[in-house]
Amino acid sequence: MTLQTAIAIGLLMGIVFGFALEKSRVFEPGVIVGQMQFQNFIMLKVFLTAVATGAIVLAFLNGFGFVKLAPKAANFGADIVGGLVLGVGITLAGACPGTTLAQIGAGYRDALFTLFGGLFGALAYSYFEPRISSVLSMNGPKTIFTDYVGIPYWMGALALAAILVVMLVLLERWQPYSEEFGRNYDGDLHS
Amino acid sequence: MSISLTAKAWSPYAAGIGIGILQIPAFLLIETALGASSSYVTVADLIASWFDPSLLKIDYAAKHVALTGKNWWQVALVGGIAIGAFLSAKLSGARRAAISPVWQRATGTSSPAKRYALAFLAGFIMLFGARIADGCTSGHGLSGMAQLSVGSTVAVAAMFAGAILAAKVLLRRI
Repeated sequence: MTLQTAIAIGLLMGIVFGFALEKSRVFEPGVIVGQMQFQNFIMLKVFLTAVATGAIVLAFLNGFGFVKLAPKAANFGADIVGGLVLGVGITLAGACPGTTLAQIGAGYRDALFTLFGGLFGALAYSYFEPRISSVLSMNGPKTIFTDYVGIPYWMGALALAAILVVMLVLLERWQPYSEEFGRNYDGDLHS
Repeated sequence: MSISLTAKAWSPYAAGIGIGILQIPAFLLIETALGASSSYVTVADLIASWFDPSLLKIDYAAKHVALTGKNWWQVALVGGIAIGAFLSAKLSGARRAAISPVWQRATGTSSPAKRYALAFLAGFIMLFGARIADGCTSGHGLSGMAQLSVGSTVAVAAMFAGAILAAKVLLRRI
């Protein structure tokens, strides 16, 4: 595949991704901060639905041998330290690295500053990477949960999807999504 | 609620299915999983390397700016997100303030300059953390958890822990 083809595919996929992020309202700062303050569960609903869908499609694609999995290495120190720092950034940005771009597309001006901050953060990491990777191991095994129990991935993935669907049904019964958008569909329930 | 292109909102389940299905072209065509944060390294390091060519002596930087399909596919993906969100907002006729009104309640100030400064800092922290963890909400969250990755699940748990703690300690209730 040529570079141009990969870029064209990326653009098309990104447009679908951005469309879904905007329509679900999950890109709204009010939805992301609201999730972290347990006032709003739209983020968890979109996120877990996407994980469950991904698990089902990958169970088929991998189970029938069409694709190989590409899990990231398990480096618990880096995963925990990095995850905590990332989480603090997500709350203060009211965005994740991907939804920052959705905020820009939808017209939030502060998201441009989030983007620039993110580029500088990524650059700073690149300069420190040799030192950071000498402290935190980055070459752990690419373990997936089904390795522990000796069943094929597809079985575990379908089990995960089933568990997530049950969780989502209960979550929706407890707090229906239609009550979580707010008058302006920005997750702001008080305006 | 329908899932028309002009709707203001879709059900989170319809949107989540749409996002999850994107793993099919990602794995089949690009042989990788959905992700977003490494594109920041690709763009930032490429631009920085014009001013400081020695940056590319760091393997990590060189690997990310290389003209490979995977690197630039992800940059295009992230750029496409902005286009898709723009189109979706235009089609629904959504009008919104330049800064979400929730920030005033969360931070106690309506100063745009203070919000911009916090957003810059937040973006910096977010990407620095994502690069330490080697992934973000997309790579570790959507893709890692769907692949049953042990490391990704730990990273996502830490991410939510950090985010919930910050929302309690650093922000006011929105």
